[in-house]
Amino acid sequence: MLRENYHAVIIGAGIAGIRSALDLAETGSDVLLIDRAAHPGGLLSRLDAQFPTDGCGMCKMLPLLERDSAEATCLRKGFFHERIDFLPATELSHLEGGPGRFAVRLKQTLQGVDPQLCIGCGACETVCPVDMPDDFNSGLSRSKAIHRVVPHAVVGAYVIDAAACTRCGACVPICPTGAIDLAFDRRKEFSILVVDDELSVRDSLKEWLLNEGFMNVQTAESGAEALTLLEQSDVKLLLIDVKMPGMDGVDLLKQAKADHPDRVAVMMTAYATVDTAVEAMKSGALDYLIKPFDPQAMLAMVNRVFQATVSVQERQVTAGAVILAGGMTLFDPGEGVNPYGYGTHPHVITSLAFERVLSGCGPSQGRLVRPADGKPLQRIAWLQCVGSRDCQISADFCSRICCMISLKEAVLAKNKSNDAVETTIFYTDMRTFGKSFEPYRRQAEEERGVNLVRARVHSVTASPESGDPLLRYAGLDGRMHEAEVDLVVLAAGFRPSPETEALAELTQAERNAWGFFQPQPFAAACSSAEGIYLAGACTEPVEINAALIQASAAALEAGRTLRRSGSQLALAEGPAAKGVAPDAPPRILAAICTCHGCLSETRNTEKLISGLTRDPAVVQVLFVDQLCGADGWGPLEAAIKDVAPNRLLVAACHPLRHSTHRRALSRRTGLPENLMTIVDMKIEPTEPQADTTARSLRTALGEHVLSASLQMGVAFLKHTDPTAPEREQVQRKALVIGGGTAGMHAALAIADMGYGVDLVEKENRLGGNLAWLHHTLEGHAVKPLLDQLDDRVIQHPKITLHLEHEVVNAVGRVGDFRTTVQNAQGRTEILRHGVTILATGGLEAETTAYGYGTHRAIVTQQALERQIGSGEADAAAWDVVAMIQCVGSREPSRDYCSRVCCPTAIKHALYLKEKNPRVQIYILYRDVMMTGFSESYYTEARRAGVVFIPYRPQQLPGVETSPDGIVTLSVRDPIAEVDLKIEANLLVLATGVVPRLPAKLAAFYGATLDSGGFFQEADSKWRPVDGLREGVFACGLALAPQTITEAAAAGQAAAQRALRILCHESLSAGHPTAAVRHSLCVLCQRCIDACPYGARSVDLEQRRLVVDPAMCQGCGACAAVCLNGAAILNHHGAGQMLAMIDAAVE
Amino acid sequence: MQSFEPLIIAFVCNWCTYTAADLAGTSRLTYPSNVRLIRVMCTGMVDPQYIIKAFLEGADAVLVSGCHPGDCHYINGNFKARRRIRLLKEILPQFGFEADRLQLTWIGASDGIQFTQTMRELTERTRELGPVASRSQMVF
Ligand code: FES
Repeated sequence: MLRENYHAVIIGAGIAGIRSALDLAETGSDVLLIDRAAHPGGLLSRLDAQFPTDGCGMCKMLPLLERDSAEATCLRKGFFHERIDFLPATELSHLEGGPGRFAVRLKQTLQGVDPQLCIGCGACETVCPVDMPDDFNSGLSRSKAIHRVVPHAVVGAYVIDAAACTRCGACVPICPTGAIDLAFDRRKEFSILVVDDELSVRDSLKEWLLNEGFMNVQTAESGAEALTLLEQSDVKLLLIDVKMPGMDGVDLLKQAKADHPDRVAVMMTAYATVDTAVEAMKSGALDYLIKPFDPQAMLAMVNRVFQATVSVQERQVTAGAVILAGGMTLFDPGEGVNPYGYGTHPHVITSLAFERVLSGCGPSQGRLVRPADGKPLQRIAWLQCVGSRDCQISADFCSRICCMISLKEAVLAKNKSNDAVETTIFYTDMRTFGKSFEPYRRQAEEERGVNLVRARVHSVTASPESGDPLLRYAGLDGRMHEAEVDLVVLAAGFRPSPETEALAELTQAERNAWGFFQPQPFAAACSSAEGIYLAGACTEPVEINAALIQASAAALEAGRTLRRSGSQLALAEGPAAKGVAPDAPPRILAAICTCHGCLSETRNTEKLISGLTRDPAVVQVLFVDQLCGADGWGPLEAAIKDVAPNRLLVAACHPLRHSTHRRALSRRTGLPENLMTIVDMKIEPTEPQADTTARSLRTALGEHVLSASLQMGVAFLKHTDPTAPEREQVQRKALVIGGGTAGMHAALAIADMGYGVDLVEKENRLGGNLAWLHHTLEGHAVKPLLDQLDDRVIQHPKITLHLEHEVVNAVGRVGDFRTTVQNAQGRTEILRHGVTILATGGLEAETTAYGYGTHRAIVTQQALERQIGSGEADAAAWDVVAMIQCVGSREPSRDYCSRVCCPTAIKHALYLKEKNPRVQIYILYRDVMMTGFSESYYTEARRAGVVFIPYRPQQLPGVETSPDGIVTLSVRDPIAEVDLKIEANLLVLATGVVPRLPAKLAAFYGATLDSGGFFQEADSKWRPVDGLREGVFACGLALAPQTITEAAAAGQAAAQRALRILCHESLSAGHPTAAVRHSLCVLCQRCIDACPYGARSVDLEQRRLVVDPAMCQGCGACAAVCLNGAAILNHHGAGQMLAMIDAAVE
Repeated sequence: MQSFEPLIIAFVCNWCTYTAADLAGTSRLTYPSNVRLIRVMCTGMVDPQYIIKAFLEGADAVLVSGCHPGDCHYINGNFKARRRIRLLKEILPQFGFEADRLQLTWIGASDGIQFTQTMRELTERTRELGPVASRSQMVF
């Protein structure tokens, strides 16, 4: 059931939309999440694995606190949260009002199959005659017109492709639950009027339409006659001839539309009068058909109109804020010049299609074979920058993620083939611009043998002998090369998703030159429209972690708006479930689905009953028709009220589908959810054994399997501990360490939501690196930002500022930390807080390379920026300026890209060129990391005459100085193969960023550092600002190299994550949770080492082991290592497991 | 003569392999009815005593299956399982069970087909191994 009022509506249910939705829901908001696709998950629903783990990990986005409010299951299967409603195949159709009071109109396209009724049995698929390319697998496999929307989806499993469906009707009677509606009745009634002066046209049209099932077709031979008919009946669709004697088609159209603007009209025209027909579209005609027309085309159009009228459902809700999270879409390489033969060469596919090739549920079931002919793959080539970084097709931007996608795909292909497959990536710059990217590239290249070739391939043709793709490319040496491979994968770039334009119009949010939404300066999540926020790739193609950080920042901004507009976010503490006394003997009600009567045909129900009731704990066995649909759960409610069980066992198909029903039942009956279990009737093995397929044997076996499942369910329930989990109080205050960009943003965000913040800063001023930064690449001045933040922080009543203070000690855990801070005079103070945000920042790395420190003319980029800021930089005095990138970066000793250095170098180059157009600038680089839209500044710099010279780390540039102030660089030009000498007045070194996060400080809060000394996230992709210990977050340069805007977003994301905790008075554990039997515990502390979340510790006062209920995630690692049975996992304990094993072998 | 039908207990983790089993089910793939699935939160919670108990109680083979390395929902439970199973395989023969009767696999959420194949292969292999020879001499 949908609500009418939401705190927020989120448009786009990809990972960013899901992140924003969960963040808001976890802080008490009701959220409506919509997607134009029929399933959630966006692009990521098609990807099985991400780097650097080469696994998935999406489930790590699920709530860690109040875990029970969401379903604990694979997120790619669909997701469920108490406060989130999801509407598939839905688009925004109208938006009115403003922050705090948006009226939102939505249009949902029904998919022909009722998701409430569909049980996913797949019977329809077996009878559907339509064979079409499978969209989900990028067309590499076939599907039916009625098909599973995503192979692994649980909810709303089947949909009909209305355009492909022939309406043969075969699926309707075979559906066991009557879930399919082809709208035959409404088709019969759908009223169509054909107006044409030629009888033959009228007759043939009428006949074609009748054959298609449209029974309500009228004809008229003139405009006048048509108008009379229009008065008498409610015509939905008009087919109008343009040229008729008397009143012509356009006049008729105008009159017909005048009183019924929603009436649809299609013009029919001869070739000579096409212009008139086009003109008619301005008067409201939908489209036109040119005579003589193909009946199929005409019918397709009529069907489209019909579908649009019958299958669209309008809804209206209110919302306090709107988040746009529509993501991006893959560039179609078949567009335009198409030099790589995409769409014509069978062995050229996109990177997204290759993800499907790699997938276990893809076209080849995960076997590494060529999609077009099944040939085992031995040589694969990836071509980078297809549709990106290409000024000729107005794509002067970098799609940012393709380099890592290709590297990952190459590694996955290697994994699948035991390294047998040969993989080559043809690239321009390998943009490994994030924290863990460079090591991944190094590993791929050096350990896995992925070939990286710096070259732009200019064509792909079919080899005359084998037909395999033949690549032609110019190497760095300028010579032409050829390579033959089995498969070419185009690393296609990204474009705004198709609905972006319409959304921009509806919301008034501005877009940039490439059609993506334009965020506000320094506020990545804010659009130009009030109350409308931006999450994920709708603003720029981004990697997972960046999308999630921005999504959390968008949630924060939405939350702020809600608060400002007076909306009360109230979290109901402790759900209403009554709970069961721990010592009450188990009373189990067993409900078995009869599977539409099939059960009694194949199973001896009497035997099932007697088998179950042998155990006195089972008080009643109930057979229910259709437990698979919502209908079946009604009788269950009555039975629970009647029998008063304290445990419920359900046997039905596909247990994962029933979470909503189970939750609703629990709410209505008060029976806690964890005391209900659903065993599967179908996914249990059903294959006939050995060599006989005799029905009787199958029946006997099926019975045996089912009764074993039921017995296992009984065993599980009987030994479940019904005690309700404990709650722990929260200190509803935050500590933010570090007062730079990220720290200030985090502090303000939390304070604005009404919670106190202690902001500790080592220096005697706020602002961190903002103090010396002059302007950004985009040309925004930094000083006003600093002043504004500074003011707001100092004046905020909820923020207590501790300047010139340092943290000297800290103890505690989520919800209750005690931190000792000390000032310069040595005075200490103890702060109590529930969450900790580490925003300690970073610095420009020090260096002694290239003669730095020996000569005045050798400076760092930071020094140059300071000079620019203070006006000292005298561009006019310089003839030649040289810059060296990656000084000390991207080397084993500092194995990451600092990502800000390339933009900084180009920013300064452009600045100097502007001040002194004659100055020659040379930038010596390894890979130019101008990701996303910053690419256009790279283009601008080259246009301005800045010379870029690549160098290899094996052959570093040489530097010599002379007393006359000239610095001489020697570098080998790899293209001309000559040694160059550059005599520069100024040499600027980009030394990169190092974090300033002392390991000791991190350790106070149980956080660890990664190999670069940055904060180690719980998961670099899916939990990008969280520490593994709950309640500890990081942002800014302490987390990763970031720009100002990124640091601000990370600060807000950290704040949003912290608010999940602060919004609770107390935190409770979910199910299952670990516990300690103190009488058996010998304090050996093995469990403490085993716990990945640091949830276990020794309480020194009480001398016993304790588990923090909020931190424990219930993995059970502790119980498995305990030698005394003292560490236990409630609701999945040893007693239960052993009893289930007993039942299984019976 | 009736051929030997082994009984196999499979401990599958909630996040990946159980999901793969569900995918197999919804894709209407079948696998031998010799296998009994026991859903655990994570392979890292599979206590060696569960495995030994399963063998002693009559299982002819035991499978532990979870998320791929690097993919465990609880960070590293699968690595813990890997270490544990390696050790168990060493001591199982002392109890009279061939090490081959215990298997550890990684089956990801979209690997429905791989799930059924694994179940089929394991059943086949166990069938070839035959009944546990020492079981008849066991005294409990
Ligand atoms: S959760 Fe699957 S192995 Fe740990």
